[in-house]
This record gives sequence, C-alpha cells and structure tokens, in this order.
Amino acid sequence: MLLNKQERAGAGVWHEHTSMSGIVVEGLRHLYRPKRGAPVLALEDVTLSVGDQEFIALLGPSGCGKSTLLYLMGGFLPVETGLITMDGAPVAGPGPDRGVVFQHFALFPWKTVLQNVLYGLERQPLARGEREARALAFIKMVGLSGFENNYPSQLSGGMKQRAAIARTLAIDPKALLMDEPFGALDAQTRHLMQTELLAIWRRSPKTVIFVTHDVQEAVYLAERIVVMSARPGRIKEIVTVGLDKADPELTRSSAFAQMSDHVWSLVRDEAIKAQAGVGP
Amino acid sequence: MAGLTTPSFAARAGHLALRWSLVVALFVSWELLTRSRTFTPFMLPSPQSVLERIWRDGSSGDLFINMALTIYRALAGFLIAAMLGVSIGLLMARNAGLRWFLDPVISVGFPMPKITFLPVIVLWLGFYDTAKISMVVFDAIFPILTATIAGVRSVEKELIWSARNLGARERDLLWQILLPAASPQILTGLQVALPIALIVAVVAEMMMGGYGMGGAMIQASRMADSRGVFAGILEISIVGWIFVKAMVMLRARLLFWHAQR
Ligand SMILES: Nc1ncnc2c1ncn2[C@@H]1O[C@H](COP(=O)(O)OP(=O)(O)OP(=O)(O)O)[C@@H](O)[C@H]1O
Ligand SMILES: [Mg+2]
Repeated sequence: MLLNKQERAGAGVWHEHTSMSGIVVEGLRHLYRPKRGAPVLALEDVTLSVGDQEFIALLGPSGCGKSTLLYLMGGFLPVETGLITMDGAPVAGPGPDRGVVFQHFALFPWKTVLQNVLYGLERQPLARGEREARALAFIKMVGLSGFENNYPSQLSGGMKQRAAIARTLAIDPKALLMDEPFGALDAQTRHLMQTELLAIWRRSPKTVIFVTHDVQEAVYLAERIVVMSARPGRIKEIVTVGLDKADPELTRSSAFAQMSDHVWSLVRDEAIKAQAGVGP
Repeated sequence: MAGLTTPSFAARAGHLALRWSLVVALFVSWELLTRSRTFTPFMLPSPQSVLERIWRDGSSGDLFINMALTIYRALAGFLIAAMLGVSIGLLMARNAGLRWFLDPVISVGFPMPKITFLPVIVLWLGFYDTAKISMVVFDAIFPILTATIAGVRSVEKELIWSARNLGARERDLLWQILLPAASPQILTGLQVALPIALIVAVVAEMMMGGYGMGGAMIQASRMADSRGVFAGILEISIVGWIFVKAMVMLRARLLFWHAQR
C-alpha cells in the first residue's frame, strides 16, 4: 500500500509533462467474468504514465495481468473502471496506431509469411510495389528470408514469433505493445532481435511497452521497468534504469549487474507470493 | 527393402490388397453362397449375373440416365444446403440474438427424421425434382449449420484481435478471418452432409418413384427383378464411394495450410 502511494506520486510527476502525449493509464481495474466459475480480478488500481517514445519493460509473475493490461491498451477489452488515453484521447477500440505482438503469435494460419505481413500493409495507403518491398524488408530483418511462402504450420515456434514481429513492425505503429515477443527464441536469435529492436526504436522512435520474464532483457532494453505484483496485478515499483544503452560493454558492466540484481529481487518476491497463492 | 519415404511397388500393392481385403472377402462369400445353392438365384443372384446386368444397363444407357439424375439431385441439394448452411451459420455464430432465436428450431429439427415431412412435401411440391431436392436440402443443411456455428465460435479471439489490430474493419472479419479460420470444421460438416445428401436423394426417389437410381430399384423390385435390385445396391455404393473420396480430396486441396488436415 505504501509503495502504491509513493508510486502514484511518482506517476503524477510524469503526468505533468506528458499529459497530452504517450499512453496514460489511471486507476485501471479489470475483472474477468467467465461464463462458468467465479470472477477473476486481474488488475487492481493500475496507474502508469508512459511518455511519448519511451521504452518501458513490464515484469511480473505469471498470471499477474500483463497480457490483460496490454489487451486493454490495445482496445480489445473494454475499460470498465479507470481510464486509458493515448495522446490525450481515450482508447476506444483496436487500431493500427498501437501495434500488438501477441504472446501466442496469432498468425493467420491460412496465409503464408508474406501474406501475413502484407495483411496490415494492404490496409494502408501504399502502392502495391511499395507494400511488397516493405513486407520483404521486414521479413529479411527478422531473418525469415527464404520462408516468405511458408505457412505458419511449416515454421518453428521461434520462426512464427519472428513472423508475427515482422507483421506488426511493418505497419510502423506509433506505439508498440509487445507481449513476451522473444520468449520462443534461442539465446543467439534473441540477442540479435534485441539489438534490432533497439536499432528500430532509435531509427523511428516509438512508444514501446515490452512484456518479458527476462530481467536482463528488461534492463538491457528499457528506460524504465515496471514491476507488477502477483494477482490481482498492481504496480509494485517503477525502476528508472538510466544506463548508457550505446555502450557496447554495457551488459558486462557492474552497473548493469547491480541493476539486474535489484530488479531481480523485486520480481522474485512477487514470484514467491504468486507461487504460494498469497495474493494481497 | 521399402524405404521410409518411397515404399516399393510390392509394398504398396500389399497395402492396397490388405485395405480392400474385407470388401473382396465380402464378394467371395457372396459368390460362395450362391454356388452353395442355399438360396435360389431369385433370392440371391450371383455376383456375375449382377455384374452382367450392370453392364447391360450401362450399354443401353439407362444406367447413366439414372445415375446422372440421382447425382444431380444429391449434388444440387447439397450445394444449396452448403450455401444456406454456411451463410446462416456465420450469421448465427456472430449474432447472439439470432442464435437464441433459431437454436430451438435447430435442436428440434436436427434429430428429427426429416423423411416424415415427405408426404407434406409431396402435397406442396409434387413428385418432381423440386420436391426431391428440397428433401435433400432439408436433411443435409443441419450438419453444415451446426459445424459452421461451432467452427466460427471456436476461432481464437487473439486471431480476431490481431486482424482488428492490423486495420481490419468489423465487417471484413466475416469473410477475411472467420470463414477461413473456421474452414476445417466447416469442411468436416460438409463431409458429413454429402453422404446424407446421396442417401436422402435415393430414399426420396424410392418413395416418390420416377427415374433415378432409387426409382429404378423400386421398379425392379415391383417387377420381381432381383438382379436389378442388387445391381442398384452395387451402383449406389460405387457412387457413394466416389463422393466420399472426392470430398477427402477437396479437403486436402482447400486445407493445404492446415497442420493436421
Ligand atoms: N478470459 C479470461 N477469463 C477468466 N480469467 C482470465 C481470462 N484471461 C485471463 N484470466 C486470468 O487473469 C489473470 C491475468 O492473466 P494474464 O493473461 O493477463 O496474465 P499474464 O501476466 O499475462 O501471465 P503470463 O506471464 O503467464 O502470460 C490470470 O490469473 C488469469 O487466470
Ligand atoms: Mg501473458
């Protein structure tokens, strides 16, 4: 509770100079009402202000409501209690200004990789040749050249995930909402994709909300890390990373290790609570 | 030795023989039974005489007229049922109100023997093609309708959300996302409905008379032409077999993207 209050004060400071741009979440609560069984309180009093072009990582134990928060920001679930605004306007429904990479990829299985990537581009005012070129460029970027005409059923899990990332990046959304986008990748590919994502973010700056279970990944990528508590999800703490991302030796520096340890200890407490099933 | 990917000719022939061995055994026992003279040739004509009969019907052209008529009625009814069933099913899957309203009709109509409506259909539509095709539609539509509803209802919500996220409008979803995503289940419904269409076409022909394979069998039976009756049974089984195989091929063609077709 104490943390929560401090946090809200912190969010208020952010609020002052970002009230019109970026994504602002205020007093958000979400209750799932399944047809069978008891209602599930997934989110409770979440307040968060994400600055324009800011890179945020979202960490928290499994089942704490990270995907739910992303779905609400994406406009897929209705906001019942609280408010979400993007650039000052309340989020009213899905739209290509907030590109989502889904946890389970959500590729169209009857379309090839190329057709999947083209689906979003076909809904934008682009010339045919331009669309195709753009789609192929992003397929190349995620390392799927040569698999353009494969169907998702013919790809590995990691390849599907990269196809889904290419599909979302291709529409060049103003904000990127990524739900464990590198979760299915091997360490090597993961590192390449992390570097690539940072490069894209620098080239065409956008607001990024990046859900992950990997503390080092969060410290490496994000400017601020939002740690969520076990269900019902609340914001436990927001950590400002403040490391020099351009430093090639960053991941080997002691500052990086200290920051990782700090975030790790926060996450571990919540993971233990979630395991024990002792929700607050 | 047979390789894993390309089995040798002998191995494939062996497989084929094993698969069809029961059908062949049935024919052999039929032949043996007729030779044993347990039954008179009138009660159970020999396979050979039945095959000769099919050959004769084939050369006179009767066989093809009757077959073509029955296939036409079955397929016409099936196609109408498919169009209606899939369209209504899509609408029902997306519209809770419509589902609520139409569900009782389907729950009562599906298990009910539609053949009980035959006298009514005859009264309204007569004995001709319209009546027979209507019977086929009436019977074949239910499995298609229920499979379509179940298929669309089980489309993952993330799939719909990702389409909306990429800019699809609400009205694009039906054709661009829901129909292809539900197509494996819809095709299963169609695979169930096609043999039903053939069965109902033949039964309707038997009960209403006229040309067609069912009509020809009833005619043969009335004239105590037992070879004609047995020839009919054989002919209908072959048409049914072709129908089932064609549907399997269509499914493989349409669902080439599906992991387990
Ligand atoms: N459709 C639903 N109906 C009922 N409860 C749900 C539904 N979706 C999610 N939940 C519940 O809401 C909680 C939050 O789910 P959510 O998927 O947002 O978690 P998460 O933080 O993304 O977890 P993970 O890290 O495992 O992906 C979970 O406890 C889950 O059981
Ligand atoms: Mg999740």
